[in-house]
Amino acid sequence: MGGKRGHPVIVCRCRDVTLEDVEKAIEEGITDLETLKRRLNIGMGPCQGRTCIPLVASILARKLGKPVDELLIPKIRAPIIPVPINFLLKSVDAKGEERND
Amino acid sequence: MIKTRILIVGGGISGLSIAYSLVKRGVNDIVIVEKSYLGSGSTGRCASGIRASFTSREHVVLMKHSIELWKKYAEGELGKHGLYYNQGGYVWLASREETAKTMERLVKLHNSLGVPTRIIGLDELKKLVPPIETKGVVSVLFDPTAGKSSPFSTIFAFYNLLRKKGVRIYLHTSVEEILHNNKRVYGAITSKGKIRAETIVVAAGASTRKLLEPLGVRVPLKNLPRHAMLTEAYREAFKPLVIDWDTPGVPYIVQMKSGSFLIARNIDEEPELSLYSQRIDFMPKAVKPLVRFFPWLRNTRIMRYWMGYYITTPDHHPIYGPVKGYENLYIATGFSGHGYMMAPVTGEVIAEWILNGKPSIDAAERLVLERFEKGALIKELAVVG
Repeated sequence: MGGKRGHPVIVCRCRDVTLEDVEKAIEEGITDLETLKRRLNIGMGPCQGRTCIPLVASILARKLGKPVDELLIPKIRAPIIPVPINFLLKSVDAKGEERND
Repeated sequence: MIKTRILIVGGGISGLSIAYSLVKRGVNDIVIVEKSYLGSGSTGRCASGIRASFTSREHVVLMKHSIELWKKYAEGELGKHGLYYNQGGYVWLASREETAKTMERLVKLHNSLGVPTRIIGLDELKKLVPPIETKGVVSVLFDPTAGKSSPFSTIFAFYNLLRKKGVRIYLHTSVEEILHNNKRVYGAITSKGKIRAETIVVAAGASTRKLLEPLGVRVPLKNLPRHAMLTEAYREAFKPLVIDWDTPGVPYIVQMKSGSFLIARNIDEEPELSLYSQRIDFMPKAVKPLVRFFPWLRNTRIMRYWMGYYITTPDHHPIYGPVKGYENLYIATGFSGHGYMMAPVTGEVIAEWILNGKPSIDAAERLVLERFEKGALIKELAVVG
């Protein structure tokens, strides 16, 4: 890996994180996905990691010389796909309390 | 075996900031151990708000110092590593006349302690928060010195700078036992081996309880579950953190640097509940009261939701400083929801306790663990609400 590329290789489309950013973070001594996620803000955009986490996992696995399935995948947060607030509000009344009807 | 002058247990914002304050004073023979990833406790889960407008002398004095340090750090070497402080202020909205009166009393209290809060009119509110619906707002308290930041940017700024200064940081390394003998601590057994240390600082959140129990030290802490969520990113709409004071559970909203709005509200929860006992009902409950002020929120989408703890002490003030009965053991925990904002001053207070025998801010001296034994709890000068 490495060497000069003519253009950045995008790893995370939600936050414009490049391959170079990932390699730099690994060089900072970060070797687990939970920490890389927070260092790079990957996995926290609208796609919730569907695109970037598998890519970063394979980059990290290669760097560490480990199989990908030995890496722990970051926790998944609700609601998994972005949910419109208008839709959420149907379950509560004006004060934000649950409806009994 | 690893040897170090100072061992810090806990790689959250407090532990990292303590290490930084020690490094500033010429001590860099430091080891930090973190049982999980950096900021995995309360730091990375916090809302990132920073303010000095509290109601006890101790909180106000410490937070005024902390805000000065936030600004200084953002302009200095930590700023080059990504730490920032966005001084957008805090806005509290009152919908009831009684609350308006409470706000007036609070402004007097804050001003007497040197925090320049003030009551503002609706026209000024509109300037600060253009997309707000002001119907039903009877009074507004504004704190212009308050602001926001980013937990992750801050943590990794500390991490990278500390590593450059020679501080050793071990992640995914848990402390199993603190070694002690004859009123002194001398090291720790960790999941990755033994560490010998001349001084130990425990900044391990609520885990501090269990770590110090075998030493006969009782640390009164409760984990209170809290919830927060983020919308998708939008262009900057307003800078202040906005709090709806008159709705139970005080919902609030703040726009992060990424463009996402962070929305939170306290809902009743049992202490110590697991961080994975998520409540989907939190989402509509938190956002509904805010829709009154920001009708356009209806058209935004919730992207992420998570839980975190307020690590709370009986008087809602931190436990700072030396542990009675041990010559070289220090604690920094129990921030009761304010550990992130206090971190810069936490670093200074603990570094001074270790190196000078006492902190230069006298308000911090009263925050030692011993206060709970003596019944010398910290008092609020005004009860809010």
